[in-house]
Amino acid sequence: MIDNIEKIKKEIQDFNISNEDDLEAFRLEFLSRNGKIQSMFALMGKVPKEQKAEVGKAMNGVKVLAQQKFDDAQLELKKATRKEFGALDDITLPVEPTYAGSFHPLTQALDEMKQIFLRLGFNIADGPELENDFHNFTALNFPPDHPARDMQDTFFVRKSDDQNEQDLVLRTHTSPVQIRLMKNQQPPLRSIMPGRVYRNEAVTAKSYFQFNQVEGLYVDKNVNMGELIETLVMFAKLMYGSDVKYRVRPSYFPFTEPSIEMDVWWENEKGGQWLEILGAGMVDPNVFESVNVDPEIYTGFAFGMGVDRIAMLRYGIDDIRLLYENDIRFLEQFKS
Amino acid sequence: MNISYNWLKEYIDLDLTPEETSEKLTLSGLEVEGMEQIGSDFDGFVVGEVLEVKAHPNADKLQICDVNVGSDTVQIICGAPNVAVGQKVPVATVGSVMPLPMEDGSYLKIKKAKLRGEKSNGMICSESELGLSDDHSGIMVLHPDLEAGTPLKKALDVEKDVIIEIGLTPNRPDAACHVGVARDLSAVTGSPLKNPYNELVSKAGSIDDQISISIEDKTKCHRYVGMMVKGVEIKESPAWLKQRLTAIGLRPRNNVVDVTNFILHEIGQPLHAFDYDKIADKKIDVKTFDKDVKFTTLDDVEREVPAGSLFICDGNGPVAIAGVMGGENSEVTDSTTNILIESAYFKPSSIRKTSKSLALQTDSSYRFERGIDPEIQLKAAQRAAELIVKLAGGEIVEGYADVHPVKFEPCEVKLRLSRINRVLGTSLKMKDAEKILNDLEFETTLAGEGQLLCKVPTFRPDVSREIDLIEEVGRIFDYNNIPSPETSPFFTPETLSETEVYNQKIRRFARSLGYKEITTNSLLSQKEADALADREEQISTLNPVSQENTTLRTHLSGGFLKSIRYNLNRNIENIRFFEIGHVFKNVEKEQSTWIEGVREHTNLLMGVCGQKRSDNWQGASEAYSVFDIKSDLESLIHFLNIDGKVERKAESNYSLNYLLDGKIIATLQQLDEEVLKSFDVGQDVFIAEVDLTELFELNAGRSETTYTPVAKFPSFEFDAAFIVDKSIRAGELSSGIQKAADDTLKSISVFDVYEGKNIGEEKKSIAFRLTFLDPNKTLTIKDVEPKVQKIVQSLENDFGAKLRS
Repeated sequence: MIDNIEKIKKEIQDFNISNEDDLEAFRLEFLSRNGKIQSMFALMGKVPKEQKAEVGKAMNGVKVLAQQKFDDAQLELKKATRKEFGALDDITLPVEPTYAGSFHPLTQALDEMKQIFLRLGFNIADGPELENDFHNFTALNFPPDHPARDMQDTFFVRKSDDQNEQDLVLRTHTSPVQIRLMKNQQPPLRSIMPGRVYRNEAVTAKSYFQFNQVEGLYVDKNVNMGELIETLVMFAKLMYGSDVKYRVRPSYFPFTEPSIEMDVWWENEKGGQWLEILGAGMVDPNVFESVNVDPEIYTGFAFGMGVDRIAMLRYGIDDIRLLYENDIRFLEQFKS
Repeated sequence: MNISYNWLKEYIDLDLTPEETSEKLTLSGLEVEGMEQIGSDFDGFVVGEVLEVKAHPNADKLQICDVNVGSDTVQIICGAPNVAVGQKVPVATVGSVMPLPMEDGSYLKIKKAKLRGEKSNGMICSESELGLSDDHSGIMVLHPDLEAGTPLKKALDVEKDVIIEIGLTPNRPDAACHVGVARDLSAVTGSPLKNPYNELVSKAGSIDDQISISIEDKTKCHRYVGMMVKGVEIKESPAWLKQRLTAIGLRPRNNVVDVTNFILHEIGQPLHAFDYDKIADKKIDVKTFDKDVKFTTLDDVEREVPAGSLFICDGNGPVAIAGVMGGENSEVTDSTTNILIESAYFKPSSIRKTSKSLALQTDSSYRFERGIDPEIQLKAAQRAAELIVKLAGGEIVEGYADVHPVKFEPCEVKLRLSRINRVLGTSLKMKDAEKILNDLEFETTLAGEGQLLCKVPTFRPDVSREIDLIEEVGRIFDYNNIPSPETSPFFTPETLSETEVYNQKIRRFARSLGYKEITTNSLLSQKEADALADREEQISTLNPVSQENTTLRTHLSGGFLKSIRYNLNRNIENIRFFEIGHVFKNVEKEQSTWIEGVREHTNLLMGVCGQKRSDNWQGASEAYSVFDIKSDLESLIHFLNIDGKVERKAESNYSLNYLLDGKIIATLQQLDEEVLKSFDVGQDVFIAEVDLTELFELNAGRSETTYTPVAKFPSFEFDAAFIVDKSIRAGELSSGIQKAADDTLKSISVFDVYEGKNIGEEKKSIAFRLTFLDPNKTLTIKDVEPKVQKIVQSLENDFGAKLRS
């Protein structure tokens, strides 16, 4: 029996497969239902019991061998019969990829700022770009006929002499969202308020009649200037790196008192200079009173910064108009 | 506002450089926006006497001059046409450096030279080369009495100065003058303030016999002081005064006018000098008119001054627009001998209104509208009178007029130490706060435990509340010295607002489909706005920045079209942009969002234009079609999980509305030719504009995901082609199928659209593939056939559709 098995094994090894016909012949001779291997297994019943294990093992070995040889040969033939390599099969030919879209650099800078303030525990709130005088000026402690109103060149949509009809303006800052928040919600509250703002300014490389700000507001029982500065320093470090050089200096905004501005030191070819990155301060008691919050119980801080300017610093953009021209050759440099 | 460093030093001893001074000012609240060095010490520049002038042998325009420079006589080549023997001229000797930089920023050093073969040992200078004026017509000719060799600095009585440009905030009118700036510096450095006004006293007495002063409008003029100087001689001011004024950018006029300007910039009180002899009837009245007044100001401009503006009038009528500018009819001229000095307090809002309506801001109106010291008028007039006598001769008419209908109420404010520390986060002591306030001239008295009663100085109209005092303490203490909080502020983390999450989700979705984000102008031109919406829907600004940007966008498509034009003009072929932004419409009250009568929504625009694919080896180029943008909009609808709920209604052959709960949430369009023409775009443009505010409010895509088991049974597909009139749209048939089917119909797709003579001229065939699925069993043809029958019947009834066999 064992001899017989060895013989078949030899036959398998010697079988020459060089084309599809040979392959089929091989299959018929060895692997088909009437093939030599099946016939061999049919004789198993006649093998004496004590040899069964040894014979069975040998038979299986032959079966695996035959199948292996068949599979290998089939693969070889397939490779060999593959279509001839044509000019259009050249894998080095160029393609037109489907490129991913991208976010505008303003969105990217703003996203970064939002992420930082989220980590610092600020929510994000929204408000309208077309505002009335109350939210944009009066509630923010800009008295009528006050020179402070000249600090912001305003686009008017409606100007009225009627006491009962408020002036409508394109908001000159995101600060009116503070008023909306405080009107609708009792402290404590802590939010940033990003959005588009408008100033009636000629378009130049440095100024544009629309730009973007991020406003921040934190009101609670014991908020102080130390915490404000700490928060701003954390922002500056997360935005510009922990080695950022900064300073704060007094300033003036009608809706905060005391008011400050923060500068960061910006290196350039000529050495460097202080660049103003934001304005801030403690919420003025008059603002609290306009929204019925008791300034003796609550204190708060607010800050505001320009997104366009931060984006321009971030990406080395020297002309603000680029941000609103949407030249595709500009946009596609911002991949994410 | 310009401050001269030299001038400043008259009121405070400083051992700080101009740079250090600027830093101190910036950190205590007067932000220095720039510094400029002016003038020069003119090292190596001397007075020269021209001894001989000869023609240059090799150059027509040059002359050879022998110049006595005191120690020596040198040869200098000079090109100026006006050089002449006997002149005294400024000479830059060899080794000196010119005071002004050249074009490349470097400074010219005078060296021994040869000009066309002739030696030149120095340079004769023009006024412009010395930085003294713009005059470069010829060399500067000095006073003939000057001695050759005298250092030029001494001869001209000039010195170098640094101009500090301060960006003054509106709350600090007190710092709009040199004494005020010095006061802040004094508080920061501890060096005492030397205020020349503290010692001034006016001699009592009346000048009523000379002039009668009255105030008719007492709400707008709170005080009017008059003083007189008689017998003056009007001439040029002395060098020191001219230098002070030119340093800060003013043009000297004559000794009297210059004195008034000097005092304005010294103490902040605007003054006006009238030619007394031109005052009709020797009376002054301060009043308003209830109609517009034509008036010629001393800059020789006739102005239409609106009714209600405050005027200074004499017996004949207006002689000055109060607080803004004097009149030509009463101005001081060379022949003036008697002077009436006006020193008044006008109500800030009144001056501001006049100045704004005339679009005329002067140094005077700038200060009045911010609020000047209401108690300085008499002293300022006295100082002016004294200086005028010193510079122009004459004598002060003893006494003064002081009409003072509205007296200033001194302001006292309580300050709690605990409040300072609570607001600032400091641990200051009472004496620290007191010291700072006293240095700023606030008088303080202890008013109980931990409290100060502070008397606010009259020059600080901005301070009236405790918080204002806290700011004073804070800014002089220096905010940079506030310690970090001992425990870092611990903030409870916030979750993002739902709108924020929603908009971010949409933004990322658009990017994933290959759209690049753009940001476009909110303001369009009238023509552009008209192309997109009716006038009644538009909202415009009353004071546009330019005609290009007058009207708020009602749609995002306008900005998109402008950016397309921009890129097409630069040969960009494949444009695929998106934008998220606010759009504005004028609406009825009920449709308002934030502001009554205004609907302000956030929209998403996705738009494509040009070539989807360029010519390449795989095939010819392919232009975008409306189906490309439709596919992306459908993809968004699917992303928001509202496929089944959205209705699609064709507006025209080129426009399809998407409705949810009866509200339009998106519009798909091929923009029409007229719109494209308005925006000067020459290619087909396809857009989808989506109303995100509406979608958000309708809860589209906002529900939480919960798992439903996937179907266990296979679906059953059934193909059916219908022949219908050409006018019937596929979308209508789809809706009809949907309506007639039960909920086992899971999807409808179109796999063939055919038109041809064999089915009739006015007919077309649309072939649908309907997919049915029952979650509870395997569907067979027996189950599906009756469903299809019902659909066929329904389409036949509604559209006359015939099943194509």
